[in-house]
Amino acid sequence: MSAESAAPVEQRLAPLLNYLFLFLMLLVIAAILTAAMTLQYGYGELPCPLCLLQRVALFGVCFGIMQQFRHGFSYRNSGLSMLFAIFLLIVSVRQTLLDIYPRPGHEYIGSAVFGLHMPVWSILIALALLIAFAVKFSILGGGEKLAAVRAQAFPLLDRLATVLCVYVIALCMVNFVSVVLQCGLGECHTFGYALLPK
Amino acid sequence: MMAAVFATMTLALIVGWFSRPRVAIGLAVLCLLLAIKLFLFEIYSPETGFRMPWIQTEFVVAPRRGA
Repeated sequence: MSAESAAPVEQRLAPLLNYLFLFLMLLVIAAILTAAMTLQYGYGELPCPLCLLQRVALFGVCFGIMQQFRHGFSYRNSGLSMLFAIFLLIVSVRQTLLDIYPRPGHEYIGSAVFGLHMPVWSILIALALLIAFAVKFSILGGGEKLAAVRAQAFPLLDRLATVLCVYVIALCMVNFVSVVLQCGLGECHTFGYALLPK
Repeated sequence: MMAAVFATMTLALIVGWFSRPRVAIGLAVLCLLLAIKLFLFEIYSPETGFRMPWIQTEFVVAPRRGA
């Protein structure tokens, strides 16, 4: 194979790995959000205010990733995702510190998943997201090399990402309706759905 | 307030999907600011805020040991 014919493949490899990496991150976050909503609607575990803020943070990370699928790689969108990941870390550490000392009314909210409660999982998820971004930048770099090739250059991956992005938007819309029903216009210190008849 | 946080995030995702990146990023930043405000309210509210008295975060002068 000559150097000329190999060049486009090399130029496409880094963007392909970048979009594949982002797709996997989005898939994992969508699975986590789906699990949280299954616990809420299937098992009646009402989310607390800090739990809802953690969900928003996860949607924020998704936002930065989805923007890259729509408009190509950019540091701005990666930075936005990382800001939301840091916010997730701060909120989940705060909640874990609140509940780490057992006392009446301050037990961990919800049931344990694989032995860990959701705020503790959130810490691990936030750390994993930040590490994932760091590893991605370390290996693939950034800048024009990644921005030059859009996700549309990889049709299968683009189609799968489109389906996943629409699913995440639908999840966020369901969460919005659920939050309105649960919290009304307040800060959400409720023990049931405030707007639903009891 | 929580509804406003989720409303801005939902709008950001939808607007971003329909190719309005600058507006979408503005909405996402607004969502983050609202979420931070709500988080700080949770911490500092005298009625609903939670203290963590078992974690000492401020300097306390240690009592002097008896001679």
